[in-house]
Amino acid sequence: MSSENRSAVRTGTPEKFSYDDQIVKLFVIATLVWGVVALLLGVTIAFQLADFRLNFGLPWITFGRLRPLHTNAAIFAFCGNAIFAGIYYSHQRLLKARLFSDTLSKIHFWGWQLIIVSAALTLPFGITTGKEYAELEWPIDIAITVIWVVFAVNFFGTIIRRRERHIYVAIWFYIATILTVAVLHIVNSLEIPVSLTKSYSLYAGVQDALVQWWYGHNAVAFFLTTPFLGLMYYFVPKAVNRPVYSYRLSIIHFWSLTFIYIWAGPHHLLYTTLPEWAQTLGMIFSVMLWMPSWGGMINGLMTLRGVWSKVRTEPSVRFMATALTFYGMATFEGPLLSIKSVNSIAHFTDWIPGHVHSGTIGWNYMLIAGMLFYLVPKLWNSELYSKKLAHQQFWFATIGLVLYIISMWVAGITQSLMWRAMDDAGKLIYPNFIETVVKIVPMYWVRAIGGTMVLISFIMMVYNLWKTAKAGKKTDVVVYEAYPLHASHVEEGATSHRKLEGWPMIFAALSLIAILVGSAIEIIPSLMADQYVVKVSAIKPYSPLELLGRDVYIKEGCYLCHSQTVRPMPHEVVRYGKASNAAEFVYDHPFQWGSKRTGPDLARIGGKYPHMWHYKHFYEPREVTAGSIMPRYVWLFDQKIHYKDLPTKMRVMQQLGVPYTDEEVLKSVETAQLQAKGIADELAQSGVPAKVAEMDIVSLIAYIQRIGMDYTSMPDEEIATEGK
Amino acid sequence: MKQEVLKAFDLPWLPVIALVLFVTSFVLYTWWTYRATNKSHYEQAGNIPLDDKDIA
Repeated sequence: MSSENRSAVRTGTPEKFSYDDQIVKLFVIATLVWGVVALLLGVTIAFQLADFRLNFGLPWITFGRLRPLHTNAAIFAFCGNAIFAGIYYSHQRLLKARLFSDTLSKIHFWGWQLIIVSAALTLPFGITTGKEYAELEWPIDIAITVIWVVFAVNFFGTIIRRRERHIYVAIWFYIATILTVAVLHIVNSLEIPVSLTKSYSLYAGVQDALVQWWYGHNAVAFFLTTPFLGLMYYFVPKAVNRPVYSYRLSIIHFWSLTFIYIWAGPHHLLYTTLPEWAQTLGMIFSVMLWMPSWGGMINGLMTLRGVWSKVRTEPSVRFMATALTFYGMATFEGPLLSIKSVNSIAHFTDWIPGHVHSGTIGWNYMLIAGMLFYLVPKLWNSELYSKKLAHQQFWFATIGLVLYIISMWVAGITQSLMWRAMDDAGKLIYPNFIETVVKIVPMYWVRAIGGTMVLISFIMMVYNLWKTAKAGKKTDVVVYEAYPLHASHVEEGATSHRKLEGWPMIFAALSLIAILVGSAIEIIPSLMADQYVVKVSAIKPYSPLELLGRDVYIKEGCYLCHSQTVRPMPHEVVRYGKASNAAEFVYDHPFQWGSKRTGPDLARIGGKYPHMWHYKHFYEPREVTAGSIMPRYVWLFDQKIHYKDLPTKMRVMQQLGVPYTDEEVLKSVETAQLQAKGIADELAQSGVPAKVAEMDIVSLIAYIQRIGMDYTSMPDEEIATEGK
Repeated sequence: MKQEVLKAFDLPWLPVIALVLFVTSFVLYTWWTYRATNKSHYEQAGNIPLDDKDIA
C-alpha cells in the first residue's frame, strides 16, 4: 500500500493526535448563513433591474448600494467561509496534523465574520471606495489584512508541524491562494484616508484601472478558482474513494495556472486607453489559460472513471461533477470573451454577468454544495437527511442557472448589436440608448426568475443539511496515528523537485515568484505612467464642488451601471463623442470607467443637457427618459452638502499629486458654495426653490456637467501639438 | 492616441523576459514531472487524501 511505502522510510514511534473539526463546523454554518444572504441580495437586485419601483426610493436598498453588498457577500462571505471550511478540514488530514493553533482558528473565524458584518453595515450606507469588488473602506481593509495574516500563520504553522512529508497538490493551490490574495489586496487597497469612512485611491486614471482589474480579475482567479481547485483535488477523490486521475497532470495544472492567470487582467480593459501591448498580452495569456483550466477539469472528471454511476446516486458526486462541467464551460467562455473582436461585442453588456454567474453559481456554488454534502454527515456523525431533496435541489439550481445564463447571452448580444447598428450613411439606427434598454427588460425578468430558483435550491440545501446535522449522534474525539516526520523533512536520496515539494517555504517563495513575474510586466509600466501618458494642459482638477459631487457619484454606485470611457469604435464615437484619452483621467482618484452599461456611457455627458434636465432626471428619470429603469434618487434633494471634510479631501488630493494650491484649499468651501449658488440660480429660473443650493443634488449636477468637458473642448490640433 | 502611447513605451524587453521565463519553466517542470523515474512517487502522492484512517 502507498501509505506503508511512505511510512517505511520513517523512524520513531507513531504519534497520536486529533483534528480540530469544531472550527470546520463553524465555517460550514457561516457558509450556509451567508450563502442565503448573498443569494437573497442577488435576487433582490435582479428584480430591481427588471422593475425600478422595487428600489422603493430608499437610499440603503437602492441598486447602487446593494450590488456591492451582493458581490462582497457572494465572494468573501459565502465563498470565503466555504474555502476556510474546506481548507481547514482537508489541510489537517493531508498533513496528518491538528491546526497550528485553536486560538488563531477562532480569531480567524470571528474576525472574518466581523469583517462581513462591517461590510453589511457600511456598503448600504454608501461607505465605499468605488472600486469594484474592493469597495470596503480602509479600516476594513486593514482588518482583512490582519485576519488574512492570522489565517496564513495558522496555515503555514500546520505545515511545519505536519507528519506527512509530501505536500499534496491541493495544498499547493491553497499556498498560491494565500500569497496571491495578500499581494492583490495590499497593492489594490493602497489609499489615503480622509476620515474613518472615506479614502482616496493612491492611483489615478489608467494606473488605477490597471491595478484595479489586475486585482479584480485575480480575485476571481485566486479567490474563486485556485482554492476551489485545491478543494476539488481533495474532495473529489474522497467522495469517490479513488485517487485523482493523474497526479502528474495536477502538477502541470498548478504551475501553468498559477503562472498564466496573473497575466490575464488587462482583458477587462480592451479598447480602453490602456497601452495596446498590455491589452494584447492580456488577451494572449487569457487564451493560453484555456489549456491549464481544461487540464484541471479533465483531471477532475476523469477521477470519476469507473464510478460514473455515483453521479446519479450520490448528491456530493453529482454536484462536484456538475461544478467541474461548469468550470470547463466558464473557462472556455472566459478566453473566448478576451479575444478582442468578441470582447468588442460582449464588453459592457449583460453577457459578462452571465459569464460571471456561470462561474460563481455553476462552479463555486455547485462545488460548495458537493463539499457540504460530503462534509456535514461526517462532521455531525449522521446520514444525509434526504437524497431526494438534494436531487430536487440540483435540478432547481441547474435550471435556474441555465435560465440566468441564456437570458444574459440573449440580452448582451441583442443590446450590443443594437448599440453598433449603423446605416449606410453612418448614422446610428438606434440613437436613443433607451431603445436598447427597453428591448432587454424581458430578459431581466427571466434572469430574476432563474436567480430565484437558485435561491430556492440553496434554501432546500440549508434545510437538508440542518436536518442532517440535527439527527447527528455525539461521539468521542476521534484519534488518529501517524509517524513523526524524519528530522530532515525530506526523503533520503530524493531528487530536487521532490525535495522542493517537501520544503513548504521555498515552494511558497517559488509560487510567489510565478505570480509576481506576470504581475510585474503589467504593474511596472503602469506605475511608470509618466513615460507614456501625455499630459494635456487643458485637463484641470475638479473644482471643490465637483469633487464633492464626484463623491456622491461614487457613494451611489453610479459606476455600476454607467461607464466613463469611450472606446475608439465608430459607433461609440458617433453615439457619445471623442474616444477617451489617457490624459483625461490623471486626476481621477479612483477611476470610474465602470464595467457595465445598463445605462449609457457618461464620459461625454458634461454640457450635453441643461442643469434642469439632470435635476428632473435624478428626481424621476421617467420624466425625461420614457422607459428608463434607473432608480429615483429623491434623497439627494433633502441631504445637505457635506462641506466639513472638503478641505481635508483637497489636502489628500494634493498629497496624491493633484495640483490644488494652498489658497484653493483654504477657500474651498467658499468656492464650492459660490458654484452651488450659480447652479441653483439657473435652476430657480425654472421654479426650483433656492434652498437647493445646499443639497447634494447640486454637487452631483456640478460633477456630471464637468465630466469630459476639458478634453472635448480642446481642438484635435491642440491635443496633437501637446502630445509632441 | 493609443499609437502615441505605444511609441512612448520603452520597456519591450519586460514582457519578452517574462514570456521566456514562462516557456522555460513550463518545459522544465513538464519534463521533470513526466520523467519515468518519478512515476511511482507521484502515484503514491496521489493516494494521500485516501490515507487518513483513524485508530479509534
